[in-house]
Amino acid sequence: MRIKIQTFILGLGCLLLSGLVSAQAANCSDGLISVHCGDAPSATFDAEGDLWVAFVQDMHVYVSRSEDRGRSFSIPTQVNPVAEDAEFNGENRPKIIVDGDEIYVSWTKKTSPRFTGEIRFARSTDSGRTFSEPRTINDDGLFTGHRFESLFLSDSGHLYLTWIDKRDLEASLEKEQEYSGAAVYYAVSADGGETFSSNYRVANHSCECCRIAIAPRGPQDIAILWRQIFGVTTRDHAIAVLSPQGETTERHRASYDEWEINACPHHGPSMIQGLNTDQYHMAWFTNGDAHQGVYYGRFSFALGSPQLVRQIDANPGAGHPFLQSLDGTVYMVWKGFDGQRSLIYSIQSGDEGRSWSDAEVLASTQEGSDHPFIVSDGESLSLSWKTKEHGYIFETFAGLRTTASD
Amino acid sequence: MTLTISRPTLFLLSLLLATLTQAQDSFKPFTAASFAEIKQGFEGQEFLVGLWSVDCPPCLVELNLMGSILEQNPELPFVLISTDSIEDRKWAHEFLEDFGLAGRESWMFADSFEERLRYSIDPGWYGELPRSYFFDEDHQMQSHSGIMTRELLDSWFSRPLDL
Repeated sequence: MRIKIQTFILGLGCLLLSGLVSAQAANCSDGLISVHCGDAPSATFDAEGDLWVAFVQDMHVYVSRSEDRGRSFSIPTQVNPVAEDAEFNGENRPKIIVDGDEIYVSWTKKTSPRFTGEIRFARSTDSGRTFSEPRTINDDGLFTGHRFESLFLSDSGHLYLTWIDKRDLEASLEKEQEYSGAAVYYAVSADGGETFSSNYRVANHSCECCRIAIAPRGPQDIAILWRQIFGVTTRDHAIAVLSPQGETTERHRASYDEWEINACPHHGPSMIQGLNTDQYHMAWFTNGDAHQGVYYGRFSFALGSPQLVRQIDANPGAGHPFLQSLDGTVYMVWKGFDGQRSLIYSIQSGDEGRSWSDAEVLASTQEGSDHPFIVSDGESLSLSWKTKEHGYIFETFAGLRTTASD
Repeated sequence: MTLTISRPTLFLLSLLLATLTQAQDSFKPFTAASFAEIKQGFEGQEFLVGLWSVDCPPCLVELNLMGSILEQNPELPFVLISTDSIEDRKWAHEFLEDFGLAGRESWMFADSFEERLRYSIDPGWYGELPRSYFFDEDHQMQSHSGIMTRELLDSWFSRPLDL
Protein backbone atom coordinates (compact mmCIF):
# COMPACT_ATOMS: atom_id res chain seq x y z
CA MET A 1 0.00 0.00 0.00
CA ARG A 2 2.76 2.36 0.97
CA ILE A 3 4.60 1.72 -2.28
CA LYS A 4 1.49 2.47 -4.27
CA ILE A 5 0.99 5.81 -2.55
CA GLN A 6 4.61 6.79 -3.13
CA THR A 7 4.34 5.92 -6.80
CA PHE A 8 1.19 7.95 -7.04
CA ILE A 9 2.77 10.98 -5.40
CA LEU A 10 5.81 10.62 -7.64
CA GLY A 11 3.53 10.47 -10.67
CA LEU A 12 1.61 13.49 -9.50
CA GLY A 13 4.88 15.32 -8.94
CA CYS A 14 6.02 14.61 -12.50
CA LEU A 15 2.68 15.76 -13.81
CA LEU A 16 2.90 19.02 -11.91
CA LEU A 17 6.51 19.60 -12.85
CA SER A 18 5.82 18.98 -16.51
CA GLY A 19 5.02 22.61 -17.12
CA LEU A 20 2.95 25.65 -16.41
CA VAL A 21 -0.66 25.13 -15.48
CA SER A 22 -3.10 27.02 -17.66
CA ALA A 23 -6.63 28.10 -16.76
CA GLN A 24 -8.13 25.53 -19.10
CA ALA A 25 -6.12 22.69 -17.59
CA ALA A 26 -7.24 23.39 -14.05
CA ASN A 27 -9.56 20.59 -13.01
CA CYS A 28 -10.09 21.42 -9.37
CA SER A 29 -11.92 18.21 -8.50
CA ASP A 30 -8.61 16.34 -8.71
CA GLY A 31 -7.21 18.25 -5.75
CA LEU A 32 -4.97 20.30 -8.03
CA ILE A 33 -3.22 23.14 -6.22
CA SER A 34 -3.75 26.12 -8.49
CA VAL A 35 -4.67 29.79 -8.45
CA HIS A 36 -7.85 28.69 -10.25
CA CYS A 37 -8.77 26.22 -7.51
CA GLY A 38 -7.69 28.14 -4.40
CA ASP A 39 -9.50 31.00 -2.68
CA ALA A 40 -9.14 34.73 -1.97
CA PRO A 41 -6.19 35.60 -4.25
CA SER A 42 -4.13 38.80 -4.06
CA ALA A 43 -1.99 39.78 -7.03
CA THR A 44 0.95 42.10 -7.74
CA PHE A 45 3.50 42.70 -10.49
CA ASP A 46 7.27 42.64 -9.97
CA ALA A 47 9.64 45.10 -11.67
CA GLU A 48 10.19 42.66 -14.58
CA GLY A 49 6.47 42.52 -15.35
CA ASP A 50 5.85 39.06 -13.93
CA LEU A 51 2.55 38.62 -12.11
CA TRP A 52 2.58 37.09 -8.61
CA VAL A 53 -0.50 35.73 -6.90
CA ALA A 54 -0.94 34.60 -3.29
CA PHE A 55 -3.95 32.43 -2.45
CA VAL A 56 -5.24 29.92 0.11
CA GLN A 57 -5.95 26.28 -0.55
CA ASP A 58 -6.34 23.36 1.87
CA MET A 59 -4.94 25.16 4.96
CA HIS A 60 -1.92 26.52 3.11
CA VAL A 61 -0.97 29.86 1.62
CA TYR A 62 0.56 29.47 -1.84
CA VAL A 63 2.41 31.81 -4.17
CA SER A 64 2.33 31.35 -7.92
CA ARG A 65 3.97 33.37 -10.73
CA SER A 66 2.84 34.13 -14.25
CA GLU A 67 5.20 35.25 -17.00
CA ASP A 68 2.36 35.90 -19.45
CA ARG A 69 0.03 38.19 -17.49
CA GLY A 70 -2.14 35.47 -16.00
CA ARG A 71 -2.60 33.15 -18.96
CA SER A 72 -0.47 30.46 -17.32
CA PHE A 73 0.96 30.07 -13.83
CA SER A 74 3.96 28.37 -12.26
CA ILE A 75 3.56 25.42 -9.92
CA PRO A 76 2.51 27.08 -6.66
CA THR A 77 5.05 27.32 -3.83
CA GLN A 78 3.79 26.53 -0.35
CA VAL A 79 4.41 29.40 2.07
CA ASN A 80 3.46 27.72 5.36
CA PRO A 81 4.89 24.17 5.52
CA VAL A 82 2.69 23.24 8.49
CA ALA A 83 -1.03 23.41 7.70
CA GLU A 84 -2.88 26.20 9.50
CA ASP A 85 -6.30 27.76 9.18
CA ALA A 86 -5.39 30.72 6.95
CA GLU A 87 -8.49 32.86 6.51
CA PHE A 88 -9.91 33.26 3.03
CA ASN A 89 -12.95 35.44 2.46
CA GLY A 90 -13.77 38.79 0.93
CA GLU A 91 -12.31 40.86 3.76
CA ASN A 92 -9.56 38.41 4.79
CA ARG A 93 -7.04 37.20 2.24
CA PRO A 94 -3.29 36.62 2.01
CA LYS A 95 -1.35 39.72 0.89
CA ILE A 96 1.76 39.73 -1.28
CA ILE A 97 4.44 42.32 -2.07
CA VAL A 98 7.40 41.64 -4.38
CA ASP A 99 10.50 43.83 -4.04
CA GLY A 100 13.38 42.56 -6.17
CA ASP A 101 14.30 39.08 -4.94
CA GLU A 102 12.30 39.57 -1.76
CA ILE A 103 8.68 38.47 -1.44
CA TYR A 104 6.59 39.38 1.59
CA VAL A 105 3.43 37.46 2.42
CA SER A 106 1.00 38.06 5.28
CA TRP A 107 -2.26 36.43 6.29
CA THR A 108 -4.59 35.91 9.23
CA LYS A 109 -4.51 32.54 10.96
CA LYS A 110 -7.86 31.64 12.45
CA THR A 111 -7.29 30.13 15.87
CA SER A 112 -10.88 29.22 16.73
CA PRO A 113 -14.34 29.88 15.36
CA ARG A 114 -14.87 32.64 17.91
CA PHE A 115 -13.22 35.54 16.11
CA THR A 116 -9.72 34.83 17.37
CA GLY A 117 -6.73 34.92 15.09
CA GLU A 118 -3.09 35.76 14.67
CA ILE A 119 -1.31 37.99 12.19
CA ARG A 120 1.16 35.84 10.25
CA PHE A 121 4.12 36.84 8.11
CA ALA A 122 6.67 35.00 5.98
CA ARG A 123 9.20 36.17 3.42
CA SER A 124 11.32 34.80 0.65
CA THR A 125 14.76 36.19 -0.12
CA ASP A 126 15.33 33.94 -3.15
CA SER A 127 12.56 35.06 -5.52
CA GLY A 128 9.95 32.74 -4.09
CA ARG A 129 11.88 29.46 -4.18
CA THR A 130 11.76 29.14 -0.39
CA PHE A 131 9.95 30.98 2.40
CA SER A 132 10.97 31.66 5.97
CA GLU A 133 9.07 29.93 8.75
CA PRO A 134 5.84 31.91 9.32
CA ARG A 135 5.92 34.24 12.33
CA THR A 136 3.18 35.76 14.47
CA ILE A 137 3.43 39.54 14.44
CA ASN A 138 0.92 40.45 17.16
CA ASP A 139 3.03 40.56 20.33
CA ASP A 140 0.44 40.42 23.12
CA GLY A 141 0.46 36.64 23.48
CA LEU A 142 -3.31 36.77 23.95
CA PHE A 143 -5.73 34.25 22.55
CA THR A 144 -8.00 36.91 21.10
CA GLY A 145 -8.88 38.58 17.82
CA HIS A 146 -6.03 39.79 15.59
CA ARG A 147 -7.45 39.76 12.08
CA PHE A 148 -8.09 41.70 8.87
CA GLU A 149 -4.41 42.45 8.27
CA SER A 150 -3.09 44.71 5.50
CA LEU A 151 0.49 44.88 4.20
CA PHE A 152 2.27 47.89 2.68
CA LEU A 153 5.84 48.72 1.63
CA SER A 154 6.76 52.42 1.64
CA ASP A 155 9.26 54.03 -0.76
CA SER A 156 11.66 54.26 2.18
CA GLY A 157 11.53 50.46 2.50
CA HIS A 158 9.42 50.36 5.66
CA LEU A 159 7.16 47.34 5.66
CA TYR A 160 3.87 48.03 7.50
CA LEU A 161 1.37 45.52 8.82
CA THR A 162 -1.92 46.93 10.12
CA TRP A 163 -4.79 44.92 11.62
CA ILE A 164 -7.93 44.82 13.77
CA ASP A 165 -7.06 43.83 17.34
CA LYS A 166 -9.16 42.87 20.37
CA ARG A 167 -6.57 43.06 23.18
CA ASP A 168 -8.09 46.28 24.58
CA LEU A 169 -11.54 44.74 24.46
CA GLU A 170 -10.21 41.80 26.48
CA ALA A 171 -8.59 44.13 29.02
CA SER A 172 -11.84 46.06 29.43
CA LEU A 173 -13.90 42.92 29.83
CA GLU A 174 -11.55 41.76 32.57
CA LYS A 175 -12.25 44.99 34.42
CA GLU A 176 -15.95 44.47 33.67
CA GLN A 177 -16.01 47.63 31.60
CA GLU A 178 -17.83 47.94 28.30
CA TYR A 179 -15.79 48.37 25.14
CA SER A 180 -17.41 48.87 21.76
CA GLY A 181 -15.82 47.32 18.70
CA ALA A 182 -12.12 46.52 18.48
CA ALA A 183 -8.89 48.51 17.97
CA VAL A 184 -6.51 49.16 15.06
CA TYR A 185 -2.86 48.17 15.62
CA TYR A 186 0.25 48.07 13.47
CA ALA A 187 3.88 47.00 13.37
CA VAL A 188 6.74 48.09 11.09
CA SER A 189 9.83 46.37 9.75
CA ALA A 190 12.80 48.48 8.67
CA ASP A 191 14.82 45.48 7.49
CA GLY A 192 12.65 43.82 4.89
CA GLY A 193 10.64 41.72 7.29
CA GLU A 194 13.56 40.19 9.17
CA THR A 195 12.43 41.89 12.38
CA PHE A 196 9.33 43.88 13.31
CA SER A 197 8.78 46.68 15.80
CA SER A 198 6.55 46.17 18.81
CA ASN A 199 2.82 46.65 18.18
CA TYR A 200 1.45 50.21 18.13
CA ARG A 201 -2.17 51.16 18.72
CA VAL A 202 -3.75 53.54 16.20
CA ALA A 203 -7.28 53.83 17.56
CA ASN A 204 -9.76 52.30 19.95
CA HIS A 205 -13.33 51.39 18.90
CA SER A 206 -12.87 50.36 15.30
CA CYS A 207 -15.43 48.20 13.57
CA GLU A 208 -14.57 44.50 14.06
CA CYS A 209 -14.95 43.09 10.59
CA CYS A 210 -13.75 45.31 7.75
CA ARG A 211 -10.50 45.42 5.80
CA ILE A 212 -8.16 48.42 6.25
CA ALA A 213 -7.03 50.48 3.21
CA ILE A 214 -3.44 51.81 3.01
CA ALA A 215 -1.82 54.47 0.79
CA PRO A 216 1.54 56.27 1.01
CA ARG A 217 1.89 59.57 2.88
CA GLY A 218 5.36 60.84 1.94
CA PRO A 219 8.29 58.44 1.47
CA GLN A 220 8.02 56.66 4.80
CA ASP A 221 4.65 57.35 6.46
CA ILE A 222 1.34 55.78 5.47
CA ALA A 223 -2.28 56.93 5.49
CA ILE A 224 -4.84 54.34 6.53
CA LEU A 225 -8.62 54.36 6.12
CA TRP A 226 -10.83 52.11 8.24
CA ARG A 227 -14.38 51.71 9.51
CA GLN A 228 -14.60 53.29 12.94
CA ILE A 229 -17.37 53.47 15.54
CA PHE A 230 -18.32 57.10 16.16
CA GLY A 231 -20.57 57.80 19.13
CA VAL A 232 -22.37 54.67 20.24
CA THR A 233 -23.12 52.75 17.04
CA THR A 234 -22.31 54.94 14.03
CA ARG A 235 -19.98 52.92 11.80
CA ASP A 236 -18.46 55.41 9.34
CA HIS A 237 -14.80 55.88 8.36
CA ALA A 238 -11.71 57.38 9.96
CA ILE A 239 -8.37 58.27 8.38
CA ALA A 240 -4.97 58.71 10.07
CA VAL A 241 -1.26 58.89 9.30
CA LEU A 242 1.15 56.35 10.80
CA SER A 243 4.92 56.67 11.06
CA PRO A 244 7.59 53.97 11.27
CA GLN A 245 8.25 55.14 14.83
CA GLY A 246 4.77 54.25 15.99
CA GLU A 247 3.18 57.70 16.02
CA THR A 248 -0.37 58.24 14.82
CA THR A 249 -1.08 61.77 13.59
CA GLU A 250 -3.58 63.66 11.42
CA ARG A 251 -6.56 61.62 12.64
CA HIS A 252 -9.87 62.71 11.13
CA ARG A 253 -13.33 61.45 10.42
CA ALA A 254 -13.36 60.61 6.71
CA SER A 255 -17.01 59.82 5.99
CA TYR A 256 -20.29 61.18 7.33
CA ASP A 257 -22.78 58.54 6.27
CA GLU A 258 -24.45 58.21 9.68
CA TRP A 259 -24.63 54.43 9.43
CA GLU A 260 -25.99 53.62 12.86
CA ILE A 261 -25.72 49.91 13.04
CA ASN A 262 -24.82 47.48 15.77
CA ALA A 263 -23.80 44.85 13.26
CA CYS A 264 -20.97 43.63 11.06
CA PRO A 265 -21.03 45.23 7.61
CA HIS A 266 -18.09 43.08 6.34
CA HIS A 267 -17.40 45.93 3.96
CA GLY A 268 -14.00 47.65 4.14
CA PRO A 269 -12.95 50.74 2.15
CA SER A 270 -10.39 51.34 -0.62
CA MET A 271 -8.00 54.30 -0.91
CA ILE A 272 -5.26 55.66 -3.21
CA GLN A 273 -3.24 58.87 -3.13
CA GLY A 274 -4.22 61.65 -5.55
CA LEU A 275 -2.02 63.64 -7.97
CA ASN A 276 -2.06 66.33 -5.33
CA THR A 277 -0.36 64.24 -2.65
CA ASP A 278 -2.39 65.89 0.09
CA GLN A 279 -5.55 64.37 -1.36
CA TYR A 280 -6.75 60.78 -1.13
CA HIS A 281 -9.36 59.09 -3.30
CA MET A 282 -11.65 56.94 -1.19
CA ALA A 283 -14.35 54.42 -2.13
CA TRP A 284 -16.58 52.64 0.33
CA PHE A 285 -19.96 51.12 1.00
CA THR A 286 -22.52 52.44 3.45
CA ASN A 287 -26.16 52.09 4.29
CA GLY A 288 -26.45 55.10 6.56
CA ASP A 289 -29.15 57.69 7.07
CA ALA A 290 -27.21 60.27 5.02
CA HIS A 291 -25.74 58.01 2.32
CA GLN A 292 -26.62 54.60 0.90
CA GLY A 293 -24.71 52.43 -1.56
CA VAL A 294 -21.24 52.58 -3.09
CA TYR A 295 -19.64 56.00 -2.51
CA TYR A 296 -16.68 58.01 -3.69
CA GLY A 297 -15.04 60.87 -1.81
CA ARG A 298 -11.70 62.65 -1.86
CA PHE A 299 -10.14 63.33 1.50
CA SER A 300 -8.06 66.49 1.91
CA PHE A 301 -5.65 66.47 4.84
CA ALA A 302 -5.23 70.26 4.45
CA LEU A 303 -8.98 70.72 5.00
CA GLY A 304 -9.34 67.73 7.30
CA SER A 305 -12.54 66.65 5.56
CA PRO A 306 -13.92 64.65 2.63
CA GLN A 307 -14.71 66.51 -0.61
CA LEU A 308 -16.57 65.62 -3.83
CA VAL A 309 -18.59 62.96 -1.99
CA ARG A 310 -20.96 61.26 -4.39
CA GLN A 311 -23.09 58.19 -4.73
CA ILE A 312 -21.74 55.78 -7.34
CA ASP A 313 -24.23 52.91 -7.20
CA ALA A 314 -27.31 52.60 -5.03
CA ASN A 315 -28.68 49.43 -6.61
CA PRO A 316 -29.32 46.54 -4.24
CA GLY A 317 -26.34 44.21 -4.18
CA ALA A 318 -23.75 46.86 -5.14
CA GLY A 319 -20.62 46.80 -3.00
CA HIS A 320 -16.91 46.18 -2.44
CA PRO A 321 -15.42 49.06 -4.48
CA PHE A 322 -11.69 49.14 -5.26
CA LEU A 323 -9.60 52.05 -6.57
CA GLN A 324 -6.44 52.34 -8.66
CA SER A 325 -4.97 55.03 -10.89
CA LEU A 326 -3.04 55.11 -14.16
CA ASP A 327 -1.48 58.15 -15.82
CA GLY A 328 -3.56 60.58 -13.79
CA THR A 329 -6.86 58.78 -14.36
CA VAL A 330 -8.64 57.26 -11.36
CA TYR A 331 -10.43 53.95 -11.91
CA MET A 332 -12.99 52.28 -9.67
CA VAL A 333 -14.35 48.74 -9.91
CA TRP A 334 -17.12 47.26 -7.78
CA LYS A 335 -19.46 44.34 -7.71
CA GLY A 336 -23.18 44.35 -8.43
CA PHE A 337 -25.93 41.78 -8.72
CA ASP A 338 -28.79 41.94 -11.22
CA GLY A 339 -30.89 39.12 -9.82
CA GLN A 340 -29.16 36.49 -11.92
CA ARG A 341 -25.52 37.46 -12.32
CA SER A 342 -22.78 39.13 -10.34
CA LEU A 343 -21.24 41.87 -12.48
CA ILE A 344 -18.02 43.83 -12.16
CA TYR A 345 -18.53 47.47 -13.07
CA SER A 346 -15.86 50.02 -13.88
CA ILE A 347 -15.86 53.81 -14.03
CA GLN A 348 -13.07 56.34 -14.48
CA SER A 349 -12.34 59.96 -13.67
CA GLY A 350 -9.80 62.04 -15.57
CA ASP A 351 -10.17 65.07 -13.31
CA GLU A 352 -9.27 63.71 -9.87
CA GLY A 353 -12.76 62.65 -8.93
CA ARG A 354 -14.75 65.72 -9.99
CA SER A 355 -16.58 63.87 -12.76
CA TRP A 356 -16.92 60.21 -13.58
CA SER A 357 -17.61 58.21 -16.75
CA ASP A 358 -20.66 55.99 -17.19
CA ALA A 359 -20.25 52.51 -15.77
CA GLU A 360 -19.23 49.65 -18.03
CA VAL A 361 -19.31 45.95 -17.26
CA LEU A 362 -15.87 44.33 -17.18
CA ALA A 363 -16.89 40.77 -16.31
CA SER A 364 -19.75 38.71 -14.92
CA THR A 365 -20.56 35.30 -13.51
CA GLN A 366 -23.62 33.22 -12.74
CA GLU A 367 -21.98 31.59 -9.75
CA GLY A 368 -20.21 32.60 -6.54
CA SER A 369 -17.31 35.05 -6.66
CA ASP A 370 -14.76 37.02 -4.64
CA HIS A 371 -14.41 40.80 -4.27
CA PRO A 372 -12.90 42.53 -7.35
CA PHE A 373 -9.42 44.13 -7.31
CA ILE A 374 -7.37 46.24 -9.72
CA VAL A 375 -3.68 45.43 -10.22
CA SER A 376 -1.30 47.95 -11.81
CA ASP A 377 2.07 47.36 -13.46
CA GLY A 378 2.54 51.09 -13.97
CA GLU A 379 1.54 50.90 -17.64
CA SER A 380 -1.79 49.13 -17.46
CA LEU A 381 -4.57 48.16 -15.09
CA SER A 382 -6.03 44.67 -14.81
CA LEU A 383 -9.05 43.21 -13.07
CA SER A 384 -8.11 40.49 -10.57
CA TRP A 385 -11.21 38.45 -9.71
CA LYS A 386 -11.71 34.89 -8.51
CA THR A 387 -14.92 33.23 -9.64
CA LYS A 388 -16.19 29.72 -9.13
CA GLU A 389 -17.38 29.55 -12.71
CA HIS A 390 -14.30 30.82 -14.58
CA GLY A 391 -11.52 30.27 -12.04
CA TYR A 392 -9.12 33.16 -11.56
CA ILE A 393 -9.74 36.03 -13.98
CA PHE A 394 -6.89 38.42 -14.76
CA GLU A 395 -8.05 40.80 -17.46
CA THR A 396 -6.23 43.97 -18.55
CA PHE A 397 -8.79 46.74 -19.10
CA ALA A 398 -6.82 50.00 -19.20
CA GLY A 399 -3.47 51.00 -20.73
CA LEU A 400 -1.27 48.71 -22.88
CA ARG A 401 -3.33 46.97 -25.58
CA THR A 402 -6.47 48.89 -24.73
CA THR A 403 -4.89 52.29 -25.48
CA ALA A 404 -4.41 51.27 -29.14
CA SER A 405 -8.14 50.83 -29.61
CA ASP A 406 -9.13 54.00 -27.72
CA MET B 1 -8.46 -14.81 20.68
CA THR B 2 -7.79 -11.12 20.48
CA LEU B 3 -10.00 -8.86 18.49
CA THR B 4 -8.01 -6.87 16.00
CA ILE B 5 -9.46 -4.03 14.00
CA SER B 6 -7.57 -3.19 10.85
CA ARG B 7 -6.66 0.40 10.14
CA PRO B 8 -9.04 0.80 7.20
CA THR B 9 -11.89 -0.51 9.35
CA LEU B 10 -10.94 1.87 12.14
CA PHE B 11 -10.95 4.72 9.63
CA LEU B 12 -14.40 3.75 8.37
CA LEU B 13 -15.69 3.47 11.93
CA SER B 14 -14.41 6.93 12.83
CA LEU B 15 -15.95 8.30 9.64
CA LEU B 16 -19.26 6.71 10.56
CA LEU B 17 -19.01 8.13 14.06
CA ALA B 18 -18.28 11.58 12.67
CA THR B 19 -21.30 11.35 10.38
CA LEU B 20 -23.53 10.25 13.25
CA THR B 21 -22.29 13.09 15.47
CA GLN B 22 -22.88 15.60 12.70
CA ALA B 23 -26.37 14.30 12.05
CA GLN B 24 -27.41 15.57 15.49
CA ASP B 25 -27.79 19.12 14.24
CA SER B 26 -30.98 20.07 12.45
CA PHE B 27 -29.56 22.35 9.74
CA LYS B 28 -31.33 22.34 6.43
CA PRO B 29 -29.47 23.45 3.29
CA PHE B 30 -30.58 26.96 2.32
CA THR B 31 -30.81 27.40 -1.45
CA ALA B 32 -32.38 30.06 -3.66
CA ALA B 33 -35.74 28.25 -3.30
CA SER B 34 -35.66 27.89 0.48
CA PHE B 35 -37.00 31.26 1.55
CA ALA B 36 -40.24 30.70 -0.41
CA GLU B 37 -40.46 27.30 1.29
CA ILE B 38 -40.02 28.84 4.73
CA LYS B 39 -42.73 31.42 4.05
CA GLN B 40 -45.06 28.71 2.79
CA GLY B 41 -44.56 26.84 6.05
CA PHE B 42 -45.93 29.85 7.95
CA GLU B 43 -48.84 30.65 5.63
CA GLY B 44 -51.34 32.92 7.36
CA GLN B 45 -49.13 33.19 10.43
CA GLU B 46 -46.70 35.79 11.70
CA PHE B 47 -43.08 34.71 12.12
CA LEU B 48 -39.56 35.99 12.68
CA VAL B 49 -36.39 35.20 10.73
CA GLY B 50 -32.94 35.75 12.22
CA LEU B 51 -29.89 35.82 9.92
CA TRP B 52 -26.52 35.26 11.56
CA SER B 53 -22.97 34.02 11.09
CA VAL B 54 -20.29 32.45 13.27
CA ASP B 55 -18.06 35.29 11.99
CA CYS B 56 -20.15 38.14 13.42
CA PRO B 57 -19.60 39.20 17.05
CA PRO B 58 -22.90 41.15 17.39
CA CYS B 59 -24.76 38.05 16.15
CA LEU B 60 -23.72 36.22 19.31
CA VAL B 61 -25.19 39.00 21.44
CA GLU B 62 -28.42 38.60 19.50
CA LEU B 63 -28.44 34.80 19.74
CA ASN B 64 -27.94 35.11 23.48
CA LEU B 65 -30.92 37.49 23.70
CA MET B 66 -33.11 35.32 21.46
CA GLY B 67 -32.18 32.26 23.50
CA SER B 68 -33.51 33.85 26.67
CA ILE B 69 -36.59 35.34 24.97
CA LEU B 70 -37.48 31.96 23.50
CA GLU B 71 -37.07 30.34 26.88
CA GLN B 72 -39.82 32.68 28.13
CA ASN B 73 -41.82 32.38 24.89
CA PRO B 74 -41.25 28.87 23.55
CA GLU B 75 -44.13 29.21 21.07
CA LEU B 76 -42.58 32.22 19.34
CA PRO B 77 -42.24 31.30 15.64
CA PHE B 78 -38.56 31.87 14.92
CA VAL B 79 -36.44 30.60 12.03
CA LEU B 80 -32.65 30.85 12.03
CA ILE B 81 -30.58 31.18 8.85
CA SER B 82 -26.80 31.07 9.09
CA THR B 83 -24.97 32.69 6.18
CA ASP B 84 -22.01 30.39 6.81
CA SER B 85 -21.50 27.51 4.41
CA ILE B 86 -23.32 24.39 5.55
CA GLU B 87 -19.91 22.71 5.41
CA ASP B 88 -19.15 24.63 8.62
CA ARG B 89 -22.22 23.19 10.36
CA LYS B 90 -20.20 21.82 13.28
CA TRP B 91 -19.16 25.31 14.40
CA ALA B 92 -22.59 26.79 13.85
CA HIS B 93 -24.18 23.97 15.84
CA GLU B 94 -21.85 24.64 18.79
CA PHE B 95 -22.99 28.26 18.91
CA LEU B 96 -26.68 27.36 18.78
CA GLU B 97 -26.25 24.77 21.52
CA ASP B 98 -24.58 27.39 23.72
CA PHE B 99 -27.60 29.66 23.42
CA GLY B 100 -30.22 26.93 23.72
CA LEU B 101 -31.30 27.40 20.11
CA ALA B 102 -30.18 24.07 18.66
CA GLY B 103 -33.74 22.73 18.59
CA ARG B 104 -35.12 25.60 16.47
CA GLU B 105 -35.83 25.51 12.74
CA SER B 106 -32.41 26.26 11.32
CA TRP B 107 -30.91 26.68 7.87
CA MET B 108 -27.40 27.25 6.56
CA PHE B 109 -26.28 28.71 3.22
CA ALA B 110 -25.72 25.84 0.79
CA ASP B 111 -24.68 27.69 -2.37
CA SER B 112 -21.41 29.57 -2.83
CA PHE B 113 -23.34 32.11 -4.92
CA GLU B 114 -24.22 34.07 -1.77
CA GLU B 115 -25.48 37.07 -3.72
CA ARG B 116 -28.28 34.96 -5.17
CA LEU B 117 -29.22 33.59 -1.77
CA ARG B 118 -29.28 37.07 -0.25
CA TYR B 119 -31.36 38.32 -3.18
CA SER B 120 -33.87 35.49 -2.68
CA ILE B 121 -34.44 36.72 0.86
CA ASP B 122 -34.44 40.46 0.18
CA PRO B 123 -32.81 42.34 -2.74
CA GLY B 124 -32.46 45.32 -0.41
CA TRP B 125 -30.27 43.48 2.10
CA TYR B 126 -26.56 44.28 1.75
CA GLY B 127 -25.31 41.34 3.75
CA GLU B 128 -24.79 43.09 7.08
CA LEU B 129 -25.37 40.91 10.15
CA PRO B 130 -27.31 40.30 12.27
CA ARG B 131 -30.36 40.93 10.07
CA SER B 132 -33.95 40.19 11.05
CA TYR B 133 -37.21 39.91 9.15
CA PHE B 134 -40.68 39.90 10.61
CA PHE B 135 -43.66 38.71 8.57
CA ASP B 136 -47.15 39.52 9.80
CA GLU B 137 -50.17 37.29 9.15
CA ASP B 138 -50.50 38.73 5.62
CA HIS B 139 -46.75 38.24 5.21
CA GLN B 140 -46.09 41.96 5.01
CA MET B 141 -42.34 42.14 5.70
CA GLN B 142 -40.41 44.39 8.08
CA SER B 143 -36.63 44.31 8.42
CA HIS B 144 -34.01 45.28 10.96
CA SER B 145 -30.20 45.45 10.75
CA GLY B 146 -28.22 45.06 13.94
CA ILE B 147 -28.96 43.40 17.25
CA MET B 148 -32.62 42.60 17.93
CA THR B 149 -34.32 44.46 20.78
CA ARG B 150 -37.17 43.39 23.06
CA GLU B 151 -38.99 46.61 22.14
CA LEU B 152 -38.89 45.82 18.44
CA LEU B 153 -40.15 42.28 18.98
CA ASP B 154 -42.95 43.64 21.14
CA SER B 155 -43.97 46.10 18.43
CA TRP B 156 -43.77 43.53 15.64
CA PHE B 157 -45.70 40.61 17.11
CA SER B 158 -49.47 40.97 17.52
CA ARG B 159 -49.55 38.29 20.20
CA PRO B 160 -48.56 39.27 23.74
CA LEU B 161 -44.97 38.32 24.53
CA ASP B 162 -43.38 37.65 27.89
CA LEU B 163 -40.39 40.00 27.57
